[in-house]
Amino acid sequence: MTDLEHGAIELSWIDMTIAAGLVLVAGAVSIALRLGLERRLAIASLRTVVQLLLVGFILRQVFAIDSAWLLMGLLLAMTIAASFAAVGRSSRTFSGATFQAFLTLLLTGMLTTFTVTGAIVGIEPWYRPQYVIPLLGMVLGNSLTGISLSLDHLLERLSAGRQQVEMELTHGATRWEAARAPLAEAVRRGMIPVINSMMVVGIVALPGMMTGQILEGADPMKAVMYQIVVMFMIAAATSLGCMLIGLLACRYLFNSRHQLRSELIRQRA
Amino acid sequence: MSQHSSTITGPSAPPRGGGDMATFTADAIAVAVDGQLLLEDISFRLEPGQLLAITGPSGCGKTMLLRSLAGLIDPVAGQLRLNGEAPQQLGWPAYRRRVLLVHQQPVLTPGTIRDNLERPFRYRAAASPWNEAAATRFLERLHIEAERLEQRADSLSVGQQQRVCLVRALLLQPDVLLLDEPTSALDETARDAVEALIREVALERSTAAVIVTHDAAQAERWCDVQLALQPTAGGNGQ
Repeated sequence: MTDLEHGAIELSWIDMTIAAGLVLVAGAVSIALRLGLERRLAIASLRTVVQLLLVGFILRQVFAIDSAWLLMGLLLAMTIAASFAAVGRSSRTFSGATFQAFLTLLLTGMLTTFTVTGAIVGIEPWYRPQYVIPLLGMVLGNSLTGISLSLDHLLERLSAGRQQVEMELTHGATRWEAARAPLAEAVRRGMIPVINSMMVVGIVALPGMMTGQILEGADPMKAVMYQIVVMFMIAAATSLGCMLIGLLACRYLFNSRHQLRSELIRQRA
Repeated sequence: MSQHSSTITGPSAPPRGGGDMATFTADAIAVAVDGQLLLEDISFRLEPGQLLAITGPSGCGKTMLLRSLAGLIDPVAGQLRLNGEAPQQLGWPAYRRRVLLVHQQPVLTPGTIRDNLERPFRYRAAASPWNEAAATRFLERLHIEAERLEQRADSLSVGQQQRVCLVRALLLQPDVLLLDEPTSALDETARDAVEALIREVALERSTAAVIVTHDAAQAERWCDVQLALQPTAGGNGQ
């Protein structure tokens, strides 16, 4: 208790070894029930340790350097990785989809992150990586899921559901009028995970960031306020992202003669 | 490379019905699918109220020709004109509303028959307001009771859906109807009703029609002119 009042309790390597013992319990269950998951569990555990240590090491360097340019480079790298992940999860794609996802994530991610760090939290200087990097990470992580669901649905409606769109075009709809229903449904699909998590936040589970702050010794009310800001930021970024990727995709997949070019959509193997 | 030539038969019918409706011309249209030439040098001039049948064996490109006439795909050569104006001059949505394609497979959206019939009147290219009286009149002419307007569209049989799609097109008062096998899912009574209604609309409103049919007797009976697509080499398509 006393320790909590003074901040987080430092974890030693011995503590980490005990935690690793918890994974061994999962491994033992797998062996006992012949689930055959031991190997994958071991690899996953190892990857967790290596990836997080690497991130910790990189973040420590970045925070120490405290350079705006380096930060921007890192944000760009995070956004590029997120755009590949967003398009990679979709079962259909088209040439240029990754670039459109990159543009979308760059615009929506930066807009929402810097609105929070600049206008709400008011960090000084504006590029303090301790704030910007974790916040952008949360935004990207959530909006890439939304974008991927959204794009997947949109491309399905424009390829498998081509007749429906062409029916609208034959009755005099413009490309945007014909794309409206698939686009709206795609945005709705992309928003479902965020809305679901907003509906149950705090009831089913405490969000990771908030839990982290509380473990760090922060006042729960302060942690809650941060979490509310983060949830709103994620909701804004995801909805804007789903809409923007949909608009960009439609702009590419319909030509100026208001024809649907569904032949540009490729089914992923 | 597979190609199809075309021949036009039948009297060069004078315009039927009243005066200021548009003439639809196709001049040396060529259609390709995946880079392969399917049809070439398709030309015709359709006067207001005239019915043109397009016949030809399965896979010869009849549907692709209709799609290119509707501007859903670009012909690789040739020019379409409605009353002397190219589609790009009219604007593609306005052109498609006036040269309106009805697909062979009925395409309806979830909702009632009314929802489906009203839907195109929301588009900017719609030139007239929704007319419920006309909708019920057309439906009844095609043996669908007016009370069924509030019925879910997906509860209809394919034949009924095909007729609802035709009514939806007629309500927009196009200059030219492009009908792809419009009676393929209909029994004889319903087929006769469709033929009679299209003929009546041609007479009263001068609506012309390009009708794809595999039924030579129907083409002969229903239409003023025929365009026969003849395969010249072992091609396939559609």
